[in-house]
Amino acid sequence: MSAKVPRNFRLLEELEKGEKGLGADGCSYGLTDGDDVMMSNWNATILGPPHSAHENRIYSLKIYCGASYPDQPPSVHFISKINLPGVSQTNGKVDLSKLGRVSQWNRDFTMEKILVALREYMAHPNCRKLPQPPEGSTY
Amino acid sequence: MASGLPKRIIKETERLVAEPVPGIHAVPHEDNLRYFDVSIHGPAQSPYEGGIFRLELFLPEDYPMTPPKIRFLTKIYHPNIDRLGRICLDVLKGNWSPALQIRTILLSIQALLGAPNPDDPLANDVAQRWKEDEKAAIATAREWTRTHAMT
Repeated sequence: MSAKVPRNFRLLEELEKGEKGLGADGCSYGLTDGDDVMMSNWNATILGPPHSAHENRIYSLKIYCGASYPDQPPSVHFISKINLPGVSQTNGKVDLSKLGRVSQWNRDFTMEKILVALREYMAHPNCRKLPQPPEGSTY
Repeated sequence: MASGLPKRIIKETERLVAEPVPGIHAVPHEDNLRYFDVSIHGPAQSPYEGGIFRLELFLPEDYPMTPPKIRFLTKIYHPNIDRLGRICLDVLKGNWSPALQIRTILLSIQALLGAPNPDDPLANDVAQRWKEDEKAAIATAREWTRTHAMT
C-alpha cells in the first residue's frame, strides 16, 4: 500500500512547484491569497500556444480546489474570454470531461497537468484557428 | 492497523497514544494512518502560553528515510513559521535523521515556540520586526495567540 498524500500536503507540493517552475510549458499558477491556509483559490495563466489564434495572448484562469481535492478534480474557469469547445461562453467554466488527457480524473493529476492539457487543446488542429474574442475581454 | 503500514510507524503511533508527551497530542486519521491531527500547547513563559495550536503531520512513503511533513493550521506569529504554517526547523530539513521520531520532532517544534530564532527566518517580515522591536513582536504574538489559538 503506497502512502496517500493528503490534500493539504499535495497542495503545498503544487504551490512549491508553481513558485519554482514559473513559465514552464507556458503555464503558471499560484495562490490567490497567500494567507489562505486552506489553499482553496488559485490563479493561473496560460500563454497562448504559437502558430494559433492564441499566439502572444496571456489567458487568466481561476481554479478552486475543494475539500475533496485531489480525489475530485478542481473547478477551473477562464477569466479571459476564449472561444474553445468545452469552455462555457457564459462564465468561462471548463468542462474537464471534454479535455482528453484529464477527462478520466485520477488523484495523481495536478493543476499543472490541467493547464498543460488546456494549452495543448488550444493548439489542437480543430481549435487553433477558431476566431477569438477581443484580447483582454473577460467573463 | 491497515496492512502495509510499516512496523516502525505502527510502533511510533502506539507509543504516542500509550505514553503521550505532555502538552502534545497526535492522533492518526482513521482513513489514512500516515496522516496525523496534532495539537501543541504553547509553552509556559512564551507568548504562546495558554494557546492550543493545531498542526497536521504526514509521513511520506519513504519515511523514516525522509522527514515527516508538518505544518501549523492555527495562525501563529513566529519568525520561523510562515503564513501558510510552514516551519523552518533544521531537523525537518538537512538535519533529519531516521533515528528521530514523530515524538522528537513535535518536541522540537514545541521548543521552537519557546525559543523563536529570528536569525534563521522563514517569515521575513516577522523576523525583521522581531529583531527591530522584540517587545512589540512578542505583544503581537500574544495577541495572535489570544485571537487564533484560544477558541
